[in-house]
Parts: sequence; structure tokens; C-alpha cells
Amino acid sequence: MAEPDVYLEKLSYFSRMLRLHGMAVSPKETEDAAVILTQLGFEDRNQVKTALRTVFAKSREEQITFDQVFDGFFLSEEAIRQQAREAMEREAEQARQRQIAEEDLRNLEFTEDQREAYAAMSEEKRKKLRDIKNKYGGGTDRSPDIYSNLIHSVFAKAILEQQMMMENAGLGGEDIDPEVGLLYRDISAFSDTEIPRAISIIQGITRQINGELTAKRNKSGHSGQLDFRKTIRKGLETGGSFYRLKHRKKRQRRKHLVLLCDVSGSMIQFSEFALRFIQSLNQVSDSSRVFLFSEELFEADPFSLQNMDLFRSLVRDSGLYGKGTDLGTALERISAMRPAVLNGSTTLLILSDTKTIDQPRAIQALLEAKRLTGRVIWLNPIPESKWQYLKSVQTFAALCAMVPCSTLRELANACRRLTAS
Amino acid sequence: MDLITLKQKMDECHYIYDDTLATVLTVALNLGRPLLIEGAAGVGKTEIAKVMSSALDRDLVRLQCYEGLDESKALYEWNYQKQLLSIQVNMNEADKEKLTKDLFSDEYLLERPLLKSIRSEKPVVLLIDEIDKADEEFEAFLLELLSEMQVTIPEVGTVKAKSIPFVVLTSNRARPLSEALRRRCAYLYIEYPDLEKELAIIRAKLPHVDDRLSAQVALAVQKLRSTEAILKKPSIAETLDWTAALDALGIRELTPDALRQTAGFILKNAEDLAVLQEEDPEVLTHHHHHHDCGCGGDCGGHHHG
Repeated sequence: MAEPDVYLEKLSYFSRMLRLHGMAVSPKETEDAAVILTQLGFEDRNQVKTALRTVFAKSREEQITFDQVFDGFFLSEEAIRQQAREAMEREAEQARQRQIAEEDLRNLEFTEDQREAYAAMSEEKRKKLRDIKNKYGGGTDRSPDIYSNLIHSVFAKAILEQQMMMENAGLGGEDIDPEVGLLYRDISAFSDTEIPRAISIIQGITRQINGELTAKRNKSGHSGQLDFRKTIRKGLETGGSFYRLKHRKKRQRRKHLVLLCDVSGSMIQFSEFALRFIQSLNQVSDSSRVFLFSEELFEADPFSLQNMDLFRSLVRDSGLYGKGTDLGTALERISAMRPAVLNGSTTLLILSDTKTIDQPRAIQALLEAKRLTGRVIWLNPIPESKWQYLKSVQTFAALCAMVPCSTLRELANACRRLTAS
Repeated sequence: MDLITLKQKMDECHYIYDDTLATVLTVALNLGRPLLIEGAAGVGKTEIAKVMSSALDRDLVRLQCYEGLDESKALYEWNYQKQLLSIQVNMNEADKEKLTKDLFSDEYLLERPLLKSIRSEKPVVLLIDEIDKADEEFEAFLLELLSEMQVTIPEVGTVKAKSIPFVVLTSNRARPLSEALRRRCAYLYIEYPDLEKELAIIRAKLPHVDDRLSAQVALAVQKLRSTEAILKKPSIAETLDWTAALDALGIRELTPDALRQTAGFILKNAEDLAVLQEEDPEVLTHHHHHHDCGCGGDCGGHHHG
């Protein structure tokens, strides 16, 4: 182990690293860490880690970040060697694959990207490609376009898959705490066994949000009107003198929510979760109406939203399941309903991934709906990082407030925003 | 206090801990920082404060938080009735100034837990339980106490701590605590104990119970906790209650029948009990034999003498 002085200097770098990873670390904490390390000594790596974590990390989420930063920063000697060895092996393997790829692709025109992608492909896929090459390779002279288009489309898919794998790998955190993992994962990717767990998380979060709202309401003060009955009653405790005045509470205005849920094939799991979330926010609204749509529009009664099985069978019975998405028609029909569903005091929530047929019509209908209602909020289950690649997302995002909610955590934040204003 | 002494003291209290917990407690003690403990209900958050009070040989002052808790319940209140009486009795006193001054003296001050903990001559352990239940307002009010170890009472002025209490805050994460409060605390997150630790706890708390039964109970509880369908996970206290109940009923072996009869001690709501009925009780009660017999789980739970 190194000298204490060296370690204390490293400690300040370490604090800076933590800040870079989004943790709020004050100089006081670094100082505390130094104090505690000089007391405990540096011999036991685990002890040092626990001690520093106690000082620096202030929540379960921060603990996970801390562990990652710590393990990357204070490496033991073997770990450094091990990493170097692994890196070398990886390099060698990649070089080997690249060479094989060069051999395979010798006669073909490919970009650097595509060559890389080929090198990283599984053997199975490469074989498929080679087969195509062997099969049609002879005919490249006759129809070079068809052949190269085919190959390119295979590559495009492979590159996309590899990119997505890399993005998913960056998420992390799942092995450490299953609960935290579930919070950060894509809702539509939950497996059946995880759903009960996810539901209990939702219950926890809604309880939390409801609690925050109650606290806020209690704090929000009084309307200025004196509550005579309560004041007199309280006065009795103190011999009839009005020691403390009691006021009437401010009346809470609740919003009218209209939910428009996309239940086409890819959206159903997400819609279920989102509905569950919004329904359990008892403070948000006392009168909400829920419409489900795919190609058709269908109003759901509150009873059938109570549990998942009922919801699924409702979707199946209504004939919406397994169809495409037509937002335009759905919006037009809601706007045209009499008595009016949309008016100045309603908030329209759209739960959809923006994939719809007849986009121009959908845009027109959205603008009309926006004119009719107080505000329109779009909950989008596509992760925000992918928005820039999707034209439809950008188009709709320009027209109304679009909130990302691919994970339970984002969904919770969206709901919190909904209640805030 | 150093780590080894603290470990000794906790051993004396028959408290089962791991190195992480001991280190965290030492850090919090030596830095004089409040310790914020989070974790699911029933993992033993409150117990830590109790153990610390006996390990440090200090009194435990406890403040249970709830929605609507305010300063008058947590910090101090003027004894209004007594003040009124005093005014009536001393109505003819000549020195009005002195009378007014007297009315806001210690005599009329009702100490609540927070004030009591910092005005105590001997340092105490202050447990602020379930801080997430209290309002944000109250949390903000705690900040002065936790960082400066002083409180301000308008009629009296600033009251400085006579002794520094060891503060333990617990939270079930029912709502997020403010950053300001978190920053002032050392943080500990605890999870349910693993099989080994849970068994050690049962042995330490109920030494007279048959070891075999304890092991079966510990294993069954672990299985119940890892069953996803069970929503309210059994707490450590419930494990102990259950073991004691089984022992009191003279049950020496945790058979599926015994499990069914006493399930009410470990699962506390109807849905979870229903899950238990659906589950194969064999899985919960006999699985651990498989480790020894190496039959790969095909033996159907036969007994090994």
C-alpha cells in the first residue's frame, strides 16, 4: 500500500471524479473522508470503500454510482494486471477477426464502418453473408445493384443491433439492486415474472407522489377566511382565549384529464403501466376519461382498468388488439364528441410512440385538439436518446409538450410534472 | 471510539452485524455526523439505534415522526395552562416586568424529544424514526439542529447543545428526502440479512430453540422473501416471532402442515397467504436437505437423520 500522503492527494482527485459522475460532493465531505481515512488506515480495501461510501454517497442510487467510480479509481494491483491482460487479448481477437473479414470481403466495396461491423458479427451471421455471396456472387456482373443492396441491408441491420447492444450495456446497475434496475429499464421489455415486482414499485412511487402532494397542500397555507368553529374549539383548551386562530384551507382545483392510449401491438405493455400510474394518482384528477385506440377508438370504463387481466381482455374484446395505429382518426373523433370531451379545463394526455398512419391528418387533428383543450402532453415510451433519429417524434414534439417515459423512473417524473402545475 | 472497541461493545449486546455496518457506525460516530438509515420495512433500522444506545451506554430518546408533526410536538411547547394559572395567582404582584419574564422560563417549558436530547447533561442517542412520514417543513426545521447542534426558541434565544447526541434517522423511502438533509448525514442502506446472518440472529435472540428448527425457519423465510409474488416481505422481527411461536407450540420440525398452521405469524395480508397456499409448501420446508444429499432435488424431501 502507498503512503498516506499519496492517498490523501488521490482523495481530492477522487472527489472530482465523483462530481464528474453527477454526485454533489462538498469540500467538507472530502475533508471528512480524509479525517476518517487517517483514523481507520488504508490496509483494508473493503473498509476504506465502506467508509468513503458512508461519507460520499447519500442515497441508494448514489451508492451504486459510487461503487462504480471507486472500483474504477482505486484498482488493486492484480485488477490492473488482469485488465491489461484482458485488453490485450481483446485487441488480438479483434485484429484476428478483422483479418478474417478482410479475406472474406476482399472483392467487395465496403465502407470502414461496414468492415468493422462484419468483424464484430457472429460466425453464424457471417456464414449467412458468405452464403449469399457464393450463391449470387457469380451473378454480380449481371445485376450488381441488387446484390450490393442486399448485402448493405444486412449490414445496416447488424450495425443497428450492435449499436443497441452498446447502449444497453451502458445502462448497468441491474445486477446490483434489482429494484433500481427495474426502475431504469425499458418498460416494454419487462418479463412476466417481473410485472408483480414492477407493480409494487409503482404503488410505492405513487404513494410517494401522493405524499408529496399532501405535504404541499398542507403547506400551501390558508385562504384567509377564519374558521370560527375550529377557532372556538381550539380556544376552549386555553380557557376561552383565542390563543391560536384557525383558518379555512384553500380549495383545491382538480384537473379534468383525458387520456388517449395507444394499444396497438407494441404499445400495450407500456400503456398498461402508464394507465396504472396515472389512475393511482388520486390527487391528480377526480374526473378522468380514458380512451383506447389503435385503428378504432374505444372508451374504457374505470372498472375495467382496475387490474391487468381485465384490461387485457377489454383490449382484446374491443377488437383493437393487433391492429395498426391511426392517431388522426382517434383525435378527430374525440374532438367531435358531443357533449364535448375536450374543453378549456381539460388536459389531454397522449400515450403513444408517434408511429401512426396518415401523419398529415394526425398533425391536423392534433392541432385542432390543442386548440380545444388547455394543454396537450405527450408521453413517449421511446428513449429520448433515440428521438433524434426518428422524424415522426420530432414532428410531433414540435407541436406539443413531449415527455420521455421509457422507464418507470421517467414515468414517475412525468407524473410528478403533471401534478406540479 | 475505534472499530475494535465498537465491535466488542456490540458483541456484548449480542447484536449480529457485518463489517460494513460496524465501519459505517464508526465513521458516523467519529465524524459526529447524524446517520441516515434507509431500507425496506423490517430490516432492522430502528434496532441499530437501540443497540447503539446500549453499546455506548447512553439513554435513547425517540421521536416517532408522522404526517403533521410540528415543532410543538418535537421540540418544545409552552405550558399554557400553567402560565394562565400563574397569571391569575400572581395578579397582584407589583413587579410586572419580572412576572412577564418568569412566564417564559424553564418552569413553563415543556421539553419534547429534540430539546431533551440536546439539553441532556450526558450525551444520548437520538432516534428520529421514519423521517419520511414527516412533512418537508419539519425536515427543513431539523437542519439547524443537525448541522449546528442548536435550536432557536424565540422567547428564550438560541439553545446550544450541552452534549452532542448521536443522531440516527430512519426512512422507508416513502418519499425522497431533501438534498440538504442528506448532505448533513452519513448514509447507510440495509437489506434483508442473508441466510447465514438470519440464522445467527435467531440463535442469538432465541438460544433455547432447537438448532434444526432455526435453520429450517431461516431458510423458509429466505425463500418467502425471494418469492416475487409476496408483496409484504417478512421482517426480521416476524422471523423471530414465528420461531418463538413454533417453539411454544412444541413443533420440532417445520413440516408443510406446521407452516400452514402458523403462516399468520410471518405473512400479514390475505393476498400473500393466498400465494402461500398456491405455492408448493414442500419447496419452502424441505429444500435444504437437498444440499446435503446431493440428489439434485429429486428426492422429494426425504429426511436425513
